[in-house]
Amino acid sequence: MTLAETYIIFELDGAAYAVSSKHVLHIAMLEHVTPVPNTAPAVDGVVFSRGEVIPAINLRVRFGLPRQTHTERTRLVFLKVQQRVVALIVDAAREFQRIPAGSIQPIQETLVGIEGNYVEGVATLKNRSVLILDVGAVLTLEEIVPPPAASAAALPAT
Amino acid sequence: MSSDSPLELKKELLDDFYAECDELLTSIRAELTRLEATVDGRDPDPGTIEALFRHLHSLKGISAIVGLRPAEQLAHGAEDLLRALSKKTVRLSPVILEALQVATQRLGQIVSGHRRRKALPDIGEILKQLRQLVPARTKPPMESAAVSEASPEVKADPLEAARQQGLQLYSVSFSPSANLDARGVNVNAVRERLKAIGQIVRATPSVREGSIVFEFVVGVRETPADFAPWENDGLHFEAIPASAPDGETARTAQSRDAEDAESLSLTPSHIVRVDLARLDELMRITGEMVIHRSRLEERINQEKSGPGLKEVNLALARSLRELREAISRVRMVPIAEIFTRMPFVVRDLVRNSEKKVRVSLEGHQTEVDKYLVERLKEPLLHLVRNAFAHGIESPAERTAAGKPPEATILLRARSAGEALVIQIRDDGRGVDLVALAARASALGLKVPESLDAGSALRILCTPGFSTRDEADLAAGRGVGMAVVANTVRELGGTLALDSTLGLGTEFTLRLPLTLSIAEAIIVSVGQETCAVPQSAVDEIIQPSAGEARLIQGTTVIPYRGSLLPIIRLRTMFKLPDTPGGTLTVLVVSSERGAIGLVVDRVRAQREIVIRPLADRLLRVPGISGATELGDGRPILILDPVAITQGVVRPPSDSPVDANLPEARVS
Repeated sequence: MTLAETYIIFELDGAAYAVSSKHVLHIAMLEHVTPVPNTAPAVDGVVFSRGEVIPAINLRVRFGLPRQTHTERTRLVFLKVQQRVVALIVDAAREFQRIPAGSIQPIQETLVGIEGNYVEGVATLKNRSVLILDVGAVLTLEEIVPPPAASAAALPAT
Repeated sequence: MSSDSPLELKKELLDDFYAECDELLTSIRAELTRLEATVDGRDPDPGTIEALFRHLHSLKGISAIVGLRPAEQLAHGAEDLLRALSKKTVRLSPVILEALQVATQRLGQIVSGHRRRKALPDIGEILKQLRQLVPARTKPPMESAAVSEASPEVKADPLEAARQQGLQLYSVSFSPSANLDARGVNVNAVRERLKAIGQIVRATPSVREGSIVFEFVVGVRETPADFAPWENDGLHFEAIPASAPDGETARTAQSRDAEDAESLSLTPSHIVRVDLARLDELMRITGEMVIHRSRLEERINQEKSGPGLKEVNLALARSLRELREAISRVRMVPIAEIFTRMPFVVRDLVRNSEKKVRVSLEGHQTEVDKYLVERLKEPLLHLVRNAFAHGIESPAERTAAGKPPEATILLRARSAGEALVIQIRDDGRGVDLVALAARASALGLKVPESLDAGSALRILCTPGFSTRDEADLAAGRGVGMAVVANTVRELGGTLALDSTLGLGTEFTLRLPLTLSIAEAIIVSVGQETCAVPQSAVDEIIQPSAGEARLIQGTTVIPYRGSLLPIIRLRTMFKLPDTPGGTLTVLVVSSERGAIGLVVDRVRAQREIVIRPLADRLLRVPGISGATELGDGRPILILDPVAITQGVVRPPSDSPVDANLPEARVS
């Protein structure tokens, strides 16, 4: 039983989030995302990684935050969760951090915004709070994808 | 990292073990199916019995080597029964056949349990049953006459052959250790040294008390004068006297069998077992070469190079194509791997039910990419279970309907051009479209007015749909068909349903056989670049925008004496129209007729490597995959036929009349 797990810390709209490094495949700079029409709003498009086509999810949109143009700090965090590989677009991502299990508290009601659904706890480190991301919840399909319309409606009418 | 550390070796040994067990079990199942045909009283084919014996004997041997006792014991039990069958001291009966089938099933479960580190099934019951079926007599020792009857060639030959060449035989055992390894004495070095003094007739790794021991049988022309240098390096020589007919003196029965089994699998053959990951890597590299060559071709065309360079490029393209095809062939395995399981699956289902079903297999030699085989296992199993649970009626119902009480589930595989076609057909009750529609409505799904096979299939494949209130053991948890449909789509194939009420149901899976490289037309749509498979495009035309007309809501242009409905791809990408005098239209044809796709510009024609859009988030009708043109940026591959599904074709007798409203198209 590990007492402290390693996390990758990334930034989104000024807040710090942590995702367990066991899910993280790698982090890359954002070069080009190819948009795919008729996908959910949070799906910005696809990127290539190691010969595979990976969906790129804009985490700002996912959390209901306003979009921002990408900067040189914008990063793609490639995650593998239960056989799926997905990339999250975040404002910045750099650090590794060991977070002792003991310093993680469950989230309080007051902290909860829409992102509360995707956070499984808060860790307090060196006077900043880091929100521990619930990766499974972030990728829950039913919430990302609107209920299927009849397929004809998705295609251009003439 | 020394690859000779016991742990590494053990892992490699286990990987080989699992692979070999898979092959043996597939063969065993196939032979048992053959045996089944003769259980009605005719004498079983001795070749089948012998093959079964051989396979189980091998399985026993390799299980012994890795220390998997339950498998060893169970294989041994089955072996005894087969020996009795071959000596005709017992006759083949349904009870005996069933015992062998259950034993095979348990063996499969033991191996897979071991592989997944899960609990192994209990074999007490089946062992007892097997024992009881063998007529009581003094059991021959494990190393028996029957064994040498079954496989004399393998046992005697290597040693005899060596002796006949005038070589002296020694057994040399070597236990790797950290100390020895530090001095450079590892199994490969030992092998080289032994090869330097003679011929390695046999090499048997085994696991004793948790560590690996290698036993070599070496044939030397001249006995080494001094064994001391060898002993110092942990190599112990023991002469094998010529008197023992198979060179055995102080071996235990167990190691004898272990050697037999091991020598069976180490016998040189022209089969190489390859990790699928390595073949994937080869494919990936080949895919990259295709991209590079394609860019080269673009450059050659752009820079107006001389004919010499073009020739070289063509030759390169040819070789690449051959390479791709050759690698594809390496990955092919017969679909028998999946098919031979089906009779067993159905037998289990029949055991727990009153229904009577037999399985008929056709085309099990059809070769399929190994990756496809792995992906298709679950979907095909589900379709078979589905047919059993929902399609097949009880014997009473069947007789009342004038059908034979025993139903048939047919699995048929064949290759049709570039496609693999798999059909699962049952002669059961068929799909009741009315009941299906009712059930779908009750669940809140939107049901079209008239239900045809296509919409019925869509309903069946909706996640959460099930025609039973509670999930039953066989099928019907409501996830199965959705997974089948998804898997087929992910593999780039199609699923079709054909059914007649009262007569039966047939599911047809159509999957691309060959690797995903295709010629494509690269087009621009706004800022985006897309690829359209060339095979879907009949021609490219450039009518003037002024020719477009709007008829009953559909924009059409005159084309070859009739009307061609057109679709603006810009609309699909939610881009605004731009004015333009000329349209660039790709004419795509489908069973519903020709349709035009309007793009901004045709940029090039290239060979592309198709990457599937596997993730569920990317399931978009009209987009079938992605590729890249060499700069790492993904571009989407469009599925023209899907895009054209939404088009409503105007009646063919509509007048094309200059007085009709012009359609503004861009």
